[in-house]
Amino acid sequence: MKATNVDIPPDPSNATLLEERQSIPARPFLGRAPENFMRLVFREDRFFLVLSVFIGIFAGLSVVCFRFAIAWCRIYLLGTGATLAPLRMVLAPSLAGLLIAVLVIHVFPLARGSGVNQTKAALYIYNGYIPLRTAVGKFITAALAIGSGHSLGPEDPSLQIGASLASALGRRMRLSRDRMRLIAPVGAAAGLAAAFNAPISAVLFVIEEVIGRWTAGILGSVVLAAVSSVVVMRWFLGSESMFRIPAVQLERPSELIAYSVLGVIGGLASVAFSSGIATLRSRCRALPAWTQYFQPAVAGLLIGIIAVLGAPQVMGAGYLYIDEAMHGQFTWQMLAVLAGLKIIATLLSFTSGTPGGMFAPTLFIGAMLGASVGGAEHVLFPHLSGSPGTYALVGMGVLFAGFLRAPMTSVFMVLEVSGNYSIILPVLIANTFAYLISRSLQPTAIFDVLTRQDGLELPSMEEQREEGTLRVEDAMRPASGALLDAVLNARDSLDQVFQRWDAALPDVRLVRLDPTGWSSVTRQALEIMVKEGKGDLTLGSALSGRQLPFLHPDNPLETALRYVDRWPLLPVVSRADFRKLEGVISQQDVLKRYQLYGEGGDMRE
Amino acid sequence: MPEPDGDTQAAVGDERTFRRYLRHEPVVLALLSALAVIFFVAVTALSHLYQAQQEFLGNRWFMRGTTDLKQLHFDAAVTEFRSALLYSRDSYAYQLNLAEALIGLKRTGEAYAYFINLWDREPENGLVNLELARIAAQKSETEQALRYYHNAIYATWPGDQQVQRRETRLELIGYLLNISARAHAQAELIALAANLEDDPSQQARVGDLFVQTQDYEHALAEYRLSLKAQPHDPAALAGAGLAAFQLGRYNLAERYLQAAVSANPNDALSAARLKTAARIMQMDPFQRQISVAQRDRIVREAFAAAGQRLESCSAAGAAKGPATTPVAQPALSEDWAKMKPQITEPGLRRDPDLVNTAMELVFSIERQTSNACGAASETDAALLLIAKLHESN
Repeated sequence: MKATNVDIPPDPSNATLLEERQSIPARPFLGRAPENFMRLVFREDRFFLVLSVFIGIFAGLSVVCFRFAIAWCRIYLLGTGATLAPLRMVLAPSLAGLLIAVLVIHVFPLARGSGVNQTKAALYIYNGYIPLRTAVGKFITAALAIGSGHSLGPEDPSLQIGASLASALGRRMRLSRDRMRLIAPVGAAAGLAAAFNAPISAVLFVIEEVIGRWTAGILGSVVLAAVSSVVVMRWFLGSESMFRIPAVQLERPSELIAYSVLGVIGGLASVAFSSGIATLRSRCRALPAWTQYFQPAVAGLLIGIIAVLGAPQVMGAGYLYIDEAMHGQFTWQMLAVLAGLKIIATLLSFTSGTPGGMFAPTLFIGAMLGASVGGAEHVLFPHLSGSPGTYALVGMGVLFAGFLRAPMTSVFMVLEVSGNYSIILPVLIANTFAYLISRSLQPTAIFDVLTRQDGLELPSMEEQREEGTLRVEDAMRPASGALLDAVLNARDSLDQVFQRWDAALPDVRLVRLDPTGWSSVTRQALEIMVKEGKGDLTLGSALSGRQLPFLHPDNPLETALRYVDRWPLLPVVSRADFRKLEGVISQQDVLKRYQLYGEGGDMRE
Repeated sequence: MPEPDGDTQAAVGDERTFRRYLRHEPVVLALLSALAVIFFVAVTALSHLYQAQQEFLGNRWFMRGTTDLKQLHFDAAVTEFRSALLYSRDSYAYQLNLAEALIGLKRTGEAYAYFINLWDREPENGLVNLELARIAAQKSETEQALRYYHNAIYATWPGDQQVQRRETRLELIGYLLNISARAHAQAELIALAANLEDDPSQQARVGDLFVQTQDYEHALAEYRLSLKAQPHDPAALAGAGLAAFQLGRYNLAERYLQAAVSANPNDALSAARLKTAARIMQMDPFQRQISVAQRDRIVREAFAAAGQRLESCSAAGAAKGPATTPVAQPALSEDWAKMKPQITEPGLRRDPDLVNTAMELVFSIERQTSNACGAASETDAALLLIAKLHESN
């Protein structure tokens, strides 16, 4: 919106700027250089950026420890070899499940689940508060669960550990409420970036799924935290990506059809996976409370049985097997079986309340499904150039888009993991199909389903994205009869007001000033001018110092709301020509439009 | 006292906040930095512990795998190398050995995936290129196989590079001979021979390969080089005899074959070839250093043998049916019968050109009957070889 020199209320987003201007006394800059420098550094918003770096460092270090803990749990619970002893495969997840249940019920009740929703709840409900105990609990229980073979991943717990650490740090720093709310997502991005070794995806996921809005301040903090955590993680664990990335090729554009098929199948698999979680989780929660002690153990036992029966690949996060699938080390039939069994194993682990993430299982299922579809297509059409690895990579993105419903993150995640831009077209095509199918068959995203099952009502980022915005053009009315010419004198103007009386208009008329600008005049003001003998004065000269703000048709309607209570009638002008009146808008118009919308009216009339 | 206005109050509040920050934040930053350093040091210690354990476990599984691979227990080796890879996913040695074990289990597809990855990392690794060449050869992907074989030949190898490269080229030649790419194999052999050290066994081996490519000239040269160092090597003698025999240098062949049979009396093939060579020497009327009388006698014997061959072949053909009798055979019988009265000692002495005419007829008969009736007697075989020899001359 273009504001003129009238008394316009300050835009809240500019508040900081105004405060800053007010707080700097008018003294020579050089004379107070040290103090000015200190002011520059120790303002809260800048200090928050510095704090973000520390959050990243602490989150990175915690995630490194978490990875060590998972590896040690795996070694001591399941053994050191790639082939596991059957007895261990059954006993380790079952007994670990019992211990986890006791810990979660009695010591760390907030450690349950994946961690994404808890971070969102901290942002929207608890003013950024996540107890440090949650980080400790998540660390211990998730490491035990993943290390013992439960079909869960380390990414979401890392996200929550990062958020929890950041929240604790923010509390110690006594940050303002606004900063406190944001600090948990900043820590979440740091945790996720370190766990995933993919800073861009982590930043995007947190912005897309947790915070839901972009501002320079938020982005700066999130990026700094993510980058510093990844640097720390790579310092200790190396910079290798999670998988050995195969060569990616797309020789003919017609092969995109093959990837579209993968998108469709991936979309359907995502729906099956998410509806399975939604259904089974609500049933598990409906069981008597005492069963919660045994649910993780039973899930572990069933996963162990699946492993003993010939699919040990479903145990744990399964990155090793994603890597093998990418390099064509399974037949397409085996890959399809593994994708199905992993869905079942993850359903069991997650819905039993075992702490752990869904990112890694999602990637596993996607990779297996992708490589399987690719393999089957190769059997049918041997001329296709895509390797199993390419299909597996695209498959990971497909499940990410279809199941986690993070379309942007899914694309960037594949790009970041593969480091190859030539995969972009297959990923875009397949992800779009998966996302659309998943949305149409399961309108509520899985994270929103889970929060609603928990009795919370957190803002759904997907619903917000889909929600339309009312604009000024939806509420404005035609300008006919509302305009007076600046060259008219007050007497003629008053006559014109009476001649073209419109009961629907407020008792005010707009005046187009020369050379630019708008003003308004009420009927009473015109009558007073005439009574005071100023009837010959032109409107232009009388109103030259009283300019109006104006709006454009595409401005959000809420922008109009900020002004209509102070000015009864506002001009809506073209962006190309500020003197061209597209319509007028009054408080009554705005309220009427909102009323219509509230009654279930369409976004557009 | 006048009331401070809003702006003044805000400025005072801001100043207070600033003072608080100035007192508080540097201390906080210092504390955070100290905490970060302490945490970092602690995680470094933990990381050393973790890395040491990972290395230990990786090495332990790798050693087990190597032992099993040496003992050709491929199944166990695969599991052990996979276990080793859990602790060092990118270890080149672990992956290479796992791929070798997978090859042992004939799980070529999986092995290929590892090898191609290793190739991406080190395209100049000789063993990886060689294995990829073998896999491509198995899959009948000739172009790929040749590319990887050539990469392997010029790649870096651990240990004695020359030996490894020579063995790889020899393997490539074997592959080329298998797919009947004789010319290509010959070119590779020439390149190999040029770089061959003075190793008589290798020279004899290369000679054998030249024989397989039917390049007898080079074969003979290699056998000769080999025999310089080991003059009594029966295999090289037999090879040289064969090469000389194939080149039509029956004198030389006879000498080598005689030596070969003396060195290895069990060499039946060389003995048979020696007999044929001797027979050729006896039956060739165009040899130098033989008298006219000897030449006339050889011509008469050859003419008689050809007549017998023609007769026996015609009889066999008639027994099988008219369709199997060659069209030209009656004409040859007629020519033979017409010439027979002239092929006498005085007749040949009277007309020296008759030797050539008679032998041309003999060669025609031997060729025709060889095509129609197949294998012949030792004399006929010798005559056929003499025919070929003089045809090429």
